[in-house]
Amino acid sequence: MGLIVLACAYEAYAHETIRFLTTSNIRNILPLIGFFGILSLGQALVIITGGIDLSVGSVVALVGITTAILLRGAGWHPVVAISLTLCMAATIGAWHGLLVTKARMQPFVVTLCGLFFYRGLVRLMTKDATRGFGNQFPTLKWLGSGFIPDIDASFVSVPFVIMLIIAVLECAYLHFMAPGRHIFAVGASEESARFSGIPVDRVKITAYTLCGLLSGLGGLLVAFNINSLGPSDFGSFYELYAIAGAVLGGCSLRGGSGTVPGVVVGASLIVILKNLVNILQIPSQLEYVVIGGAILLGVFVDEMFTRRAASRVRT
Amino acid sequence: MRSLFVLLIITVAVTSCGPSTAPPDTGSQKVPVKSAKAAAPVKVAFVTNNPSDFWKIAQAGTEKAAKEVGCDVLFRLPSTGTAQEQQTIVQDMITVGVSGIAISPKDPENQTDMLNDAAAKANLITQDSDAPQTNRLCYVGTDNYQAGVAAGELLKKTLPNGGKIMIFVGSLDAQNAQDRKKGIEDTLKGTNIEIIDTRTDETDRLKAKSNAQDALVAHPDLACLVGLWSYNGPALLNGVRDSGKLGQVKIVCFDEEEETLQGVKDGHISGTVVQQPFEFGYQSVKLLAALAKGDKSVIPPNKQLIIPVRTITKENVDEFWTQLKKLTGKA
Repeated sequence: MGLIVLACAYEAYAHETIRFLTTSNIRNILPLIGFFGILSLGQALVIITGGIDLSVGSVVALVGITTAILLRGAGWHPVVAISLTLCMAATIGAWHGLLVTKARMQPFVVTLCGLFFYRGLVRLMTKDATRGFGNQFPTLKWLGSGFIPDIDASFVSVPFVIMLIIAVLECAYLHFMAPGRHIFAVGASEESARFSGIPVDRVKITAYTLCGLLSGLGGLLVAFNINSLGPSDFGSFYELYAIAGAVLGGCSLRGGSGTVPGVVVGASLIVILKNLVNILQIPSQLEYVVIGGAILLGVFVDEMFTRRAASRVRT
Repeated sequence: MRSLFVLLIITVAVTSCGPSTAPPDTGSQKVPVKSAKAAAPVKVAFVTNNPSDFWKIAQAGTEKAAKEVGCDVLFRLPSTGTAQEQQTIVQDMITVGVSGIAISPKDPENQTDMLNDAAAKANLITQDSDAPQTNRLCYVGTDNYQAGVAAGELLKKTLPNGGKIMIFVGSLDAQNAQDRKKGIEDTLKGTNIEIIDTRTDETDRLKAKSNAQDALVAHPDLACLVGLWSYNGPALLNGVRDSGKLGQVKIVCFDEEEETLQGVKDGHISGTVVQQPFEFGYQSVKLLAALAKGDKSVIPPNKQLIIPVRTITKENVDEFWTQLKKLTGKA
């Protein structure tokens, strides 16, 4: 509910400056919504189990830059290189899941260490030299920044479509299939889930694996889009945008709640906010104030509505 | 408690076998030196403000100087590029016993105490970015104001009929960003080229690109985009390309990232003002090595060793690029 109010407020703002709705601006925003949407969709799975994944930004960097090295440095075939790096991302996720479940470590700690470790690994691999895809690989660049059909009036952004496909699949999985519903059960109460015979560990490992995979996929698309990847700065802070998108979209960090459409809207709002700061010519310095304030307000209003609805049910 | 104990043991184990067996970490590269003298060679430190290709070129310069004068260079690239991280590195370098430090201070105003502390314990020079109010012995680097002036001149040539331009940079905290901007502003005074805004991106390249795209939407009549930091060049180029305005909107930028040079070569970027980081590294190490021997005559009277900038346009890009590849070993 809170989200709808916010969305309307932004729409009203946007109408004041017609520029927000121009073709070229929408074409600018859609790929960004695609990237951050994918990252938030991955993050949401883990947050719903009651965990958190802080390693997203570093995984983005690791996957993006490893792919660049394999393609341009080692001359691998794109399909092979991408399959390998995506497998790597999923393996990293699974590894986090194993540490959280079998080794009983806290998700925050496991993934925080991941955040440092993978970033360091990327810098070590590249010796801090910027990597990119050069002028080759038009198909890959199309994945990161293309439109269908390739004309100026087209709104069908490739990364945006990829994000929508993932959202539909995740929605089906999370809201309509038993293994997905188990993720909610585990997040709401691990104890009761265990007693009802849900394989808690397996559910959690699956969530972390999917989060790793989606982080890797999002990272690849961003990499194809920006082309020039700095090992120390590429993807840094993206975990926080992913978390912000998921939380703004109605996921509770206590676990057990959240919806896929909500997360997509949440991630989109953050991208739109950043865009509006530029379009409305608000000074760059105010950007974080706007984003921080908007998330706080959004979550606050959401919480109020949820609470009111809950008390109404009780009486 | 037990975990603390284990950690302590690991720390002790690592530090005790560190110097002999541990491989050098990402941030440092020891330059091997064939010194004929039996005495331990002079150690000097070169501290950058972030890890980027720019510093790879400076590193090549330090290596050349190290070979010539026979000293060890500890080359350090702070990963997050914060003032706090620089402080830790400088303190560590002094602990290691370097005789001199060449640093590119991230936030000169607020690092005064830290820099003066270091200057009390070692020969301190600044490079790339200056801190004139400290006790640093000398500054080696570009006069960023002059670099801004060079960019301003390039803008005048690019936009003979004037027009609106916008400036893009990582952050305006850094002195070099402020000086470059001032140089551009002063040069454009009295012309019909108007600077309408400056946008920052906190060194996030995706953000840098979307800033450019947003600017083109917000101001459809923009004539030229100016990028002050090295990655801003490729970011502006990609932003303009994705907005379908290549050729219509001009780009002027700084430094020599590969994509920037390709853009200049293809004619999509009007020109780029380059510093000579190789000289920063080379001159800094030579200076520090001389200072270590007590030779103070190497310091210019005004305590500034200014390395001139060059403007790279379509005419001289090939020659420059070939030379650059040779310096960085990418040839």
